[in-house]
Amino acid sequence: MLYPFIQFLDRTFHFSEAKAHCDVPCGIYDPITAQIDALTVVRMMDLMDALAEGDDKSRLDFHNSISRYIAVKEEHAEKAKHEIRVIWGDFIKDAHVEKYPQLPGLVHKIMQLGSKCRQTASRDHGLALVDAINDFAEIFWAIKEVKTKKAKAPYAPGLEIVYPDL
Amino acid sequence: MIKIIKVTGSSLSPFFNPGDFVLTWRAPRQFRKLIPGDTVVFDHSVYGRMIKKVTLNNPAERTLAVRGSHPDSLPAQKIGLVPYQNIIGKVFYRIRR
Repeated sequence: MLYPFIQFLDRTFHFSEAKAHCDVPCGIYDPITAQIDALTVVRMMDLMDALAEGDDKSRLDFHNSISRYIAVKEEHAEKAKHEIRVIWGDFIKDAHVEKYPQLPGLVHKIMQLGSKCRQTASRDHGLALVDAINDFAEIFWAIKEVKTKKAKAPYAPGLEIVYPDL
Repeated sequence: MIKIIKVTGSSLSPFFNPGDFVLTWRAPRQFRKLIPGDTVVFDHSVYGRMIKKVTLNNPAERTLAVRGSHPDSLPAQKIGLVPYQNIIGKVFYRIRR
């Protein structure tokens, strides 16, 4: 009887969650999720830019759409940071950092760029985020001794992405 | 300060299961009285907000050692010691799913 009540409150107030997981060492890591998040950020910036060029900014539809684009941009910039943090925290070991000493700086740069993408609508920041995560992906796959290739993502914004060459 | 927190994951099963809610009580002056077996919620720099059982309390160093109860739980060494300032609270009540 108490549970349905708490569940109802949760739907309204969204209580924070405490993880009792992260515990099974599944070993499944792939920077592609962060890369797609970064592409999404740029896509939202492009959509915002296109919408802002329209002449009727007083319409309710304009505010509705721009709010949705911003919300998605916020969400995916944060998700990109999260995905990189998971690989950094769970997969990368001291030996990897010794071999690729640029890694700590690169991860820090991704964190900062992710924040910049939330703070601004600057496409340059979005592109820099995509580039930095591509750099991270190249190192990640090199650690796993998997060859990589660069190819344009087959969807807007059609930016070049580092893929494992399987 | 009392907080309601939702449990995700199963490392503390069968004591706590995914979807359970817990009530935590944060009273920093009481942290030194935490004993092995108490359940705490804390913020971890890598894994985020976690819920684990206390295995060791070191009031002098103001740290806790913690672990899950499930065989697949993250090793305590990987979690590291939890500083008192990262503790969100001690679990004092559970609302089962």
